[in-house]
Amino acid sequence: MKQIINKWDILLVAVLLVLSLIPEGIFYMTGNDAAVHDTYAVIQVDGKIYKEVPLSGHQGTETIPIKTDHGYNLVIVKDDTIGIVEADCPDKICISEGFISRPGATVVCLPHKILIEVKSAGGGEPDVIPAH
Amino acid sequence: MKKTFRIIMLSLFIAQSLVLYIVEGMLPVPFIAPGAKLGLANLITVIAMYSLPRKRDACLILFVRVLLAAAFGGGINAFFYSVAGAVLSLGIMLLLKGVGKFSILGVSMAGGIFHNLGQVLVASLVVANLKIMLYLPILAIAGAGTGLLIGITSVFTLRHLKKLPIYKRMQE
Ligand SMILES: [Zn+2]
Repeated sequence: MKQIINKWDILLVAVLLVLSLIPEGIFYMTGNDAAVHDTYAVIQVDGKIYKEVPLSGHQGTETIPIKTDHGYNLVIVKDDTIGIVEADCPDKICISEGFISRPGATVVCLPHKILIEVKSAGGGEPDVIPAH
Repeated sequence: MKKTFRIIMLSLFIAQSLVLYIVEGMLPVPFIAPGAKLGLANLITVIAMYSLPRKRDACLILFVRVLLAAAFGGGINAFFYSVAGAVLSLGIMLLLKGVGKFSILGVSMAGGIFHNLGQVLVASLVVANLKIMLYLPILAIAGAGTGLLIGITSVFTLRHLKKLPIYKRMQE
């Protein structure tokens, strides 16, 4: 069988993999390294993951409208916090819960079956990449 | 290639890569952001690059596939991931193939890595957080893995394709 991989291929892939560490190096040198292991929010609708949003390091305001058969909620990510600011649910409990940012904290809209939970990507959890 | 023959060959390649793209959307893959993909459709790009004599044919196949994939659903985010992955991986693969030193495996692994570089770049723009770039090493390894599988598959496919009479007509 003809040889299908040569030393140039191996060298090429090795160099590319080393180059992929560049962002790591830059963040390390600017002292920003730890942040990626911090927090992200998981938005669940009807028990299924709807969206995941990185929180730590997030700057500015991002709006996430959630329209489902149950109703409408407006989720806002403000810097490294997340919360519900508008909802057409009857109880409006979700809005009163305010903005959350610490791992383990939740905002729930029961009538609309929406759950927002802040999770920590570090802390010994095996999934560094938030996975479906 | 004669005009009609060329249209048919290109259509076949496009259809196959579109099927791979859609099947990939159904696979439960590790994900970084909504719309990001592994890049299995790269298989057809690699085979096209090594079986069609003209570069622009491989480019055309990829271009039409990206457009059709957007039309078949997936939304605007998926389209940006698709474009970034496609342009970067095809670009680096054509470049490296032109150098002449690398085998299909090396070329397709580099293609896989650059495909994922595209995914990370778009992801960090979509969620407006440059820290997504820190996933690059993991995704580069994943891309190299996908590229390796695609490379091996391409080597065997091309080996058999070259025995077929149709292959000679593709070279004209
Ligand atoms: Zn509510």
